[in-house]
Amino acid sequence: MSPRAPGDLSLPGVDVDALASLAEPIAAAAVTLARRFAAGATMWCVAPRWPAHGRHVAVEFVHPVIMGKRALPAVHLDDEDVVGSLRLLGHAGDILLAVGTADDDRLATLLPRSQAWGLASVWIGGGPHPAPGVADHVLWIDGASPEELGASAGFVLLYHLLWELTHVVFEHPGLVEPAPDCTEEVCVTCSDEGRLAEVVRMVDDDSALVLADGHRETVATQLVDTVGPGDLLLVHAGTAIAVVQRGSA
Amino acid sequence: MSDEPTGFLYPFIEREELDLAGLMTDLTTSAQAKIRESHGLQTATLDRCAADLDRAGRAMAERFERGGRLFTFGNGGSATDAARTADLFRHPPYGRPLPASSLVEDQAVLTALANDVGFELVFSRQLIARAQDGDIALGLSTSGGSVNLLRAFAEAQRRGVLTVGLAGYQGGAMASSGDVEHCFVVRSDSVHRIQESQAALVFALWRTVEWHLGERSDA
Repeated sequence: MSPRAPGDLSLPGVDVDALASLAEPIAAAAVTLARRFAAGATMWCVAPRWPAHGRHVAVEFVHPVIMGKRALPAVHLDDEDVVGSLRLLGHAGDILLAVGTADDDRLATLLPRSQAWGLASVWIGGGPHPAPGVADHVLWIDGASPEELGASAGFVLLYHLLWELTHVVFEHPGLVEPAPDCTEEVCVTCSDEGRLAEVVRMVDDDSALVLADGHRETVATQLVDTVGPGDLLLVHAGTAIAVVQRGSA
Repeated sequence: MSDEPTGFLYPFIEREELDLAGLMTDLTTSAQAKIRESHGLQTATLDRCAADLDRAGRAMAERFERGGRLFTFGNGGSATDAARTADLFRHPPYGRPLPASSLVEDQAVLTALANDVGFELVFSRQLIARAQDGDIALGLSTSGGSVNLLRAFAEAQRRGVLTVGLAGYQGGAMASSGDVEHCFVVRSDSVHRIQESQAALVFALWRTVEWHLGERSDA
């Protein structure tokens, strides 16, 4: 990239029609946030490349700019070992809001694990897209370099809208009720698809105690190579079928 | 949930789903309108401020060329924008890295000053300690009335420090104080839309500074 002419004040990455296409995913993310906050969630804000964005999101929710809007628990986490810290601090049902690029190792490690811990996730970023399904809500701005986006208004606009829409959802208390939890012994919804699970400890040579969706359970490990604490597994019907990431314990 | 095929006994389920769909439509429409509003305000603000952006960018480039340093500050969300501004100048995506630091980063300094002398002096006291003739002070406020910014700009002027301010609404006291040599006002009464346009202004200002520095090194 090179400097542009002084007269060229075009906004980086802001193709307004492309941005407007993010309106629906932003709305869906706001519904998730409102439901989780209503159920007592804390929102953990992580932005390793741009800690200032993480702080901005947190202060937005904690200290609303509009008088009378409720203060919501949002915390910026700026930590060398953000995975270890959030594993300790986060509770099942919490929210992870990440701002950053898909090639950021810390986020690439953190986002899938947060699913195992039972956190809902929103990932705001730009540049190459993250793997599908790695976050519940992916709000991605295409068409500009992440460096320019991080330094301009792009990401700021997205988290401002998240805050504004979350408070609109709160005005509809009937819709803030969370979707009913799966409590059946064998859940058709869950057992049909692989879930991410983090190994807490080995039970014996053939099984491990894992955390999946924030709950502890024992899964069979015969189908995968030797696993250990901190490994992230793909689990299907009570059996680990792949090692997704090696331990970060 | 019962497994009986009696969904009609639970009309609230369907009604909620319909309402949720309606809410989603409303939220989406609202977000689209806000995105276009933000974009329109950013574009209009940059257009209106183009001439002063060039003047301020040239003045800042001259200072950087002579060894001047940039100090940034603000409160709350604007504190984070001030931090990102310093980061942009110091670790730019392209161009020459420039000496810039934000006065909001050090919790020891901030809490010491707030506790001992008052929050209205947290930035001006740091400028007294660090800023010299030839440096640059850049403050962001949505209201334009933050007392600690006004105190910092007054101190900067006393010390020969170039002052650049970003405000919202009608510019508040920053626009009329006389201590802010280059005051950019985002004419909106939404704090969020103001901050977004201020981010666009900062980015345009940085680009202008880099352009002028490039012209100088080419000459």
